[in-house]
Amino acid sequence: MELEIKVNGEQWALNVAPADVLLDVLREQVGTKSPKIGCERGDCGSCTVLMDGRTVRSCLVLAVEAEGHQIVTVEGISYQGLSELQDLFLRINAFQCGFCAPGIVLSATELLEHNPNPTRHDVQEALAGNLCRCTGYEPIIEAVLGAGQPKVGLDRPATGPAEGDRP
Amino acid sequence: MTTTFPFEAGAKDEELRTVGTDAVRIDGLDKISGAAEFVDDIDFGPGLLHAAIVESPHAYARILSIDTAAAEQAKGVVRVVTGKDFPYKFGMYMEDRYIFAQDHVRFVGEQVAGVIARTHREAVQAVKLVKVVYEVLDPILDPKRAFEADAGLIHPDLGDYTHVPWFFPKAGTNIAHWRKIRKGDTEKALAEADYVLEDTYTVPRYAHCAIEPHVTVSKLDHADRLTVWTASQSPHTQRHLFAEALAPLGFTHKDVRVITPYIGGGFGGKAGVSMEILGAAMATLVKGRPVKLRWTREQEFYNTYQRQGVVAELKVGVMNDGTITAVEHKLFWDAGAYVEYGANVVNAAGLSATGPYRVPNITNDSLCMYTNLPPGGPYRGFGYSEFHFGLESHMDRIAEAIGMDPVDFRRKNAIVEGDELSYGGHMNPSGLIEAINKVADAIEWGVEEDSDNPNTVMGKGVALFWKAPAMPPNASSASFLKFNEDGSLNITVSGMELGQGYLTVMAQIASEVLTVPVEKIRVETPDTDRNPYEWQTVASHVTWSSGLAVEKAAIEARGKIFDVIHQVYGYEDDSLYLESERVKCKTDPSFEKPLSDFVIDGIQTGDGTWRGGPIIASGKFMPEFTNALSDPETGQGGHPNVHYTVGATGVVIEIDKDTGRIWVRKAALAVDAGKAINPDLVKGQIVGGLVQGLATVLYEDMRFDEGGKMLNPNFTDYKIPTAFDIPDEVVPIIVEVPQPDGPFGARGVGEHTMIAAAPVIANAVYNALGIRIKSMPVTQEKIAMTYLEKSRS
Amino acid sequence: MIAKEFEYRRPATLGEATHLLADHPGSVRVLAGGTDLVAWLRDDAVDPDLVVDIKDIPDLADIRLDGQTLHIGSLVTFTNLMESDLVAEHAPLLAEMSETVASPGIRNRATLVGNICSAVPSCDAGPVLLAYNTTVHLTGPNGSRNIDINDWFTGVRETARREDEVVTHLTIEVPKHGGVYVKLMRYAGEDLAQAAVGIVVYPNLDYRVAFGAVAPTPIRSAAIEEALRGNGLNDDLINLVVAMVPDEISPITDMRATAEYRTHITGVMLRRGLVAAVGRLAGTGPEYGTRLI
Repeated sequence: MELEIKVNGEQWALNVAPADVLLDVLREQVGTKSPKIGCERGDCGSCTVLMDGRTVRSCLVLAVEAEGHQIVTVEGISYQGLSELQDLFLRINAFQCGFCAPGIVLSATELLEHNPNPTRHDVQEALAGNLCRCTGYEPIIEAVLGAGQPKVGLDRPATGPAEGDRP
Repeated sequence: MTTTFPFEAGAKDEELRTVGTDAVRIDGLDKISGAAEFVDDIDFGPGLLHAAIVESPHAYARILSIDTAAAEQAKGVVRVVTGKDFPYKFGMYMEDRYIFAQDHVRFVGEQVAGVIARTHREAVQAVKLVKVVYEVLDPILDPKRAFEADAGLIHPDLGDYTHVPWFFPKAGTNIAHWRKIRKGDTEKALAEADYVLEDTYTVPRYAHCAIEPHVTVSKLDHADRLTVWTASQSPHTQRHLFAEALAPLGFTHKDVRVITPYIGGGFGGKAGVSMEILGAAMATLVKGRPVKLRWTREQEFYNTYQRQGVVAELKVGVMNDGTITAVEHKLFWDAGAYVEYGANVVNAAGLSATGPYRVPNITNDSLCMYTNLPPGGPYRGFGYSEFHFGLESHMDRIAEAIGMDPVDFRRKNAIVEGDELSYGGHMNPSGLIEAINKVADAIEWGVEEDSDNPNTVMGKGVALFWKAPAMPPNASSASFLKFNEDGSLNITVSGMELGQGYLTVMAQIASEVLTVPVEKIRVETPDTDRNPYEWQTVASHVTWSSGLAVEKAAIEARGKIFDVIHQVYGYEDDSLYLESERVKCKTDPSFEKPLSDFVIDGIQTGDGTWRGGPIIASGKFMPEFTNALSDPETGQGGHPNVHYTVGATGVVIEIDKDTGRIWVRKAALAVDAGKAINPDLVKGQIVGGLVQGLATVLYEDMRFDEGGKMLNPNFTDYKIPTAFDIPDEVVPIIVEVPQPDGPFGARGVGEHTMIAAAPVIANAVYNALGIRIKSMPVTQEKIAMTYLEKSRS
Repeated sequence: MIAKEFEYRRPATLGEATHLLADHPGSVRVLAGGTDLVAWLRDDAVDPDLVVDIKDIPDLADIRLDGQTLHIGSLVTFTNLMESDLVAEHAPLLAEMSETVASPGIRNRATLVGNICSAVPSCDAGPVLLAYNTTVHLTGPNGSRNIDINDWFTGVRETARREDEVVTHLTIEVPKHGGVYVKLMRYAGEDLAQAAVGIVVYPNLDYRVAFGAVAPTPIRSAAIEEALRGNGLNDDLINLVVAMVPDEISPITDMRATAEYRTHITGVMLRRGLVAAVGRLAGTGPEYGTRLI
C-alpha cells in the first residue's frame, strides 16, 4: 500500500504491507534507527515515537495507520542541538546502556510539553511505560525534574518520597 | 596475616586529578542524541538475509525425523539448516552443547532447525512448515529429583565431555560438577555449638531482561572470512568459541572477526556464546550474504542463559557469644539442559558459600544438576545473589535465637583482612565493618518507626554481601593507546561498555596518567581484528583488570614521551613530569613542552633532523598469582579468587498488612569500591543494581508448567521495575579501602549491588510482621497470605 | 513483526464500515487504537483476513454531556478521558480508572470502547462501566441498537456485539455520585488487574458494585448491592458485604495470583473502596486517583 508520512519534518512516500508496523517501517524504510525493538508488544516502550505530538508505541501502530500523521523521533528533537532536557540527561549521567534512552527522552518531552513543572509522581507516571533495566530510574527522574528548573547540575538534590503513592 | 600481591601498579599517594571525579560519560552524547548504534541498527544493504529458528516444543525428546521440504519450497526461503549441517560441539567451560540439536532436545525452545529467507516475515512463516517428529521423554525439572539415584540421565555421555580442570562431573549421574569445600571439622563443630539452625531456602530462575534482545549478523565473505556483529559482552571469547566450534569447516582464529558496538544491557546474559553461534554457523552456508538473527522477547526469556534456581540446605552453628563456628551449605542448582557456562556459577558459589564471615569449619557442596529447563548461566551476582538469600536470612534468625542484635552479630563475625578463606587463601583488605556501620546509621538501625497509616507497619532489615570475580586463573586484559596530532588520545580495549561506564573509567585512568582531559579521549568498542584481547566483560573485573592494562599502556606512553624529551633536551627521565598536557621538568621550571607539539610529528633538533614520532603504547594485565588447582575432595589449595568486594545493605520498608504490598521507603547500600574512579558511576551501579535486586525478591520470577514450558516469557507477566517501582530514597555509600593491586586502588562493584537485596527484604518483612518467607520471591501475595494465616492462628 | 498477512481498509463512513464487516464473516477485525489488536496479530492470537480501521469515520471521537447523560464516542482514548474537563467534573471515576490502564504511550492510543470490545476478564473499563449501568450503542448494516452493559460481556474475550456491528458510543447517566476503582496489581507500575472493584454510590444510597478479573467476565454483584441499598456505611455492614465476596466471585488460580489471594484482596478492596466512594459522595473522601491498595 502507498503510505505518505512526515518523519522529523521530512515527507516520505513509501510502499508498505498492511501487516508492517510503524516501528519496522521507520527503521528499515526511513532509516530512523532510534526507535528500538525491545518487546514488539507494547510492554517496554523502547519503540516510543511522537505521533502528532503524543507518544505512541510504534510497535503497536500499523504503518498504514500513520498515513497523514507527523512522526517525531529523538533524531528529530536533536536536530538543532540537544534540548535542555537532553543536556541534563547528559550531565547527570542519567543513562547507562542507552537502549531505552530514545523512548524515555520522548516520553519526558511529551510530559514537559503538557506539564512544565511536574512532581516526582508525574514524572514516574510519564515514564512508567518505558522500561530501563540499568539505572533504577533515579537519575532519569532527577533530570526530568530538573528540566526547566534553574541551576540543576551535577550536585544532586536528595530524593524525596513519592507523592500520592501511599496506601 | 596479610595477603601479599606480587604486582602493584600505579601511584596511589599522589594527588589525583581525574580519578575520583564525576566525569560525564564519554558515551553520553551518543546515547542521548539517538546516535548510539547497536547491532540491529547497522545497515547491511539489500543483500541482508533473515534467519528464524525451529524450536523444540518438548522439554525432553528424541528427534525421530525432520522434514524441511515444504519450508525449502516456501516463498523467499534461501536455505533450511538442521543439526546435520553442523554436528559440532561447543561450550565455554564444558563442551556439552551442539550448535543445533542432534538426536535429542533437552529443553523447550531448543534449536532444532533454522530457516534463512530474504525477509524476516518469510523466515518466520517458513519455520511453521518444518515438520519435526519427536519421541517425547519424561523431563526432569527439579534439581533434587535430578540428584536421585533412579533419575534418568539427561547426558548419558557426560563422562566423555571435555571440560576445564576445575570441574568434577560424575559420569553416570546428572551431576555435571560438584564443588566441595572441606575445611576444619564441621561435624565436630556443629556438635559442640551452643546453637545450630538448619533450614532450606529456595530460589527460582530469573531473567536478565536487558531491554535490547540478543541479535547477531554474520557474514562469510567470498574470501572465506567470517565476520560476526553481535550484541555481546564477550567478543574475544566468542571469536575463540566460533573458531573452535567451526574449525571442522576450516576456520582459524584469523578468519573469524567479531565486532561489538554498543549493547543494550547485558547483566551476564550476553556473556559467553548463546544464540550467536546459530547465526555464525548459518552464515557459512550462504556465502557472501549477511544473515541477521534477532531473538524475540520471548526467545530472550526462554533461550538465552537464565539465572539458575537453587535449593539451599543450610546448617550454621554458633556459640552463645555469637561466634560462628561452622557452616554446612548444600546447594542443589537447577543448572538446566546445558551447563557449559552455568557450571562455573555453581563453582563460584561453592567456593564462597559462607558469605562474608570468618568461619573456621566449612562443608560446602555446590552441585550442578542437569535438568530439562533452559541452560543456566551467568547473571549479575553469579551464584552469590542466590545463596545470599538463605544465608543472610539465616544470620538474622540465628542472631534472634541467641538474643543478639543482627547488626552486632554480623559485625562480630564479619570477615576482615587476613582471615582465612574457605579454600585456604586469605582475605584481602576491605571495609566491611565500615560498610555495616554506615548502612546501620543511614537507616537508623535500632530506632523503631511507626506508621501513621493503620493499614501499614514499618520494618527494617540489614544484609551483607561479598563476591569475588569468577574467572579462569589466567583471564587477561590488554589495551592499545595512540596519540593524535592535537594531543588527543584513542584507546582500544575489548571490554564492553554495558552501560556501567567502562569506557569513561578507562578514559579517566589514562587521563590521570597522561593529563589529557577525558573529553579528549576516545575509547572504542571492540573489534577483535583491531582491539587487543580481553577475556570477557563479566565478573565485575574490567575496572580492575582492564583498568590496569590501560594504566600500564598510559605509563608506557608517558615513558616514551619522556624518552623523546630526554633525547632532544637532555633532561633526565626522572626529572620530567606531565601537567595539563605538557611535559615539565622539576629541575628546570622554565621548561614546558605541549604534547600536541610532538606526539605525532616528533621534535626537530638543532641540526634540522627530527626525533620521536607517533607515541603509541600497549598494556596488559594477567593475575599471575592465581591458580585453580585444588583438591577435588576438599577444595583446599589453589588460589582461585583474585579478591573479594564486600558491602552491606539496609532498608526501611512499609507493608500493607492486608495486601502484603511493600513500599521501600529508604534503602542504603555501602560497597567497598577500593577507589571509586568515578563516584557518580559507582552510585549508578548502586542504585541500578539495588533496584534490579529488589525486583528479584518483590515480584520477578520465571514460571514453568509441568512440561517445562515457560509461562511468562514477556514483560506482561515477568514484571521488571518501572519508574514507580523504586525506593523512595536510595542512599549510596562508597567505602574506599584500597585494593593493593587495583588501578588507583579500585576493585569492581557492578554485580555486588544486587546481591543482598533479596535477604534484606526478607529480613525487613520479618522485622515488620514476624513472618519468615523462605522462598523467593517474597511477593505481596506470599506476605498477605502468610500473615493472614498467622493472624488467624 | 507481524508474520501473518491481511488486508487493511479505512472506510470513511459508518455504512461503508458495517458493510465491510458484513462481507467478511469470521475473518474480520475492527481496529481503533490497536493496542490489543496489533499485539494479538503479532502474537498470532487472531487471524483475520481483513482489518477495518474506523478512525476515519466522523463523530466517533466525541465526549459530550447531554443533560445528565455523558456521551463517549468509540474513538475516545484513555488519555482523552484523563484530560477531559467534562469527565473531571461529571465522572472523575472514569479518569481514575483510566490512569490505571497501562502507561501513557498506550493510553494515547487505546480506547475505552476498545477495552470492553477486547473484553479480557481483567479489562479495567469493565467494572466501572458496569457500575455506571452504561449503555452501549452499536450500528450494523441494518440499523442501530443499544445493549445494556449488563448484557454486554458474554465470555472471555466475547461480547454481545455482532460481527457486522460497530460500537459508535457509550452513554452514561451521571447525576451526583461518588465512585471508586480499586485495582490489584503485582507492583505499582503498569500491570493487568489481578482483581478489581468498581463502585458507584448515589445520594439515595443506591450502590452499584462490580468486580473485574475474578470471573470469566467483569461482573456485578446484585446480592452485595441489595445488602447495601438504602443503608449508610458502618463496620457491621461492611463486614457483612465483605463476607459475601467469596460467594459472589469465581476467581481462578493462574501465574498472576491464586484464587485465594484474589478473593482475600477483593474483600480488602471492597472494604476500602466503599469507604472511599461514600466519602467522595460526601465530598470528604480521598481525591480521585489516590491508590487505596
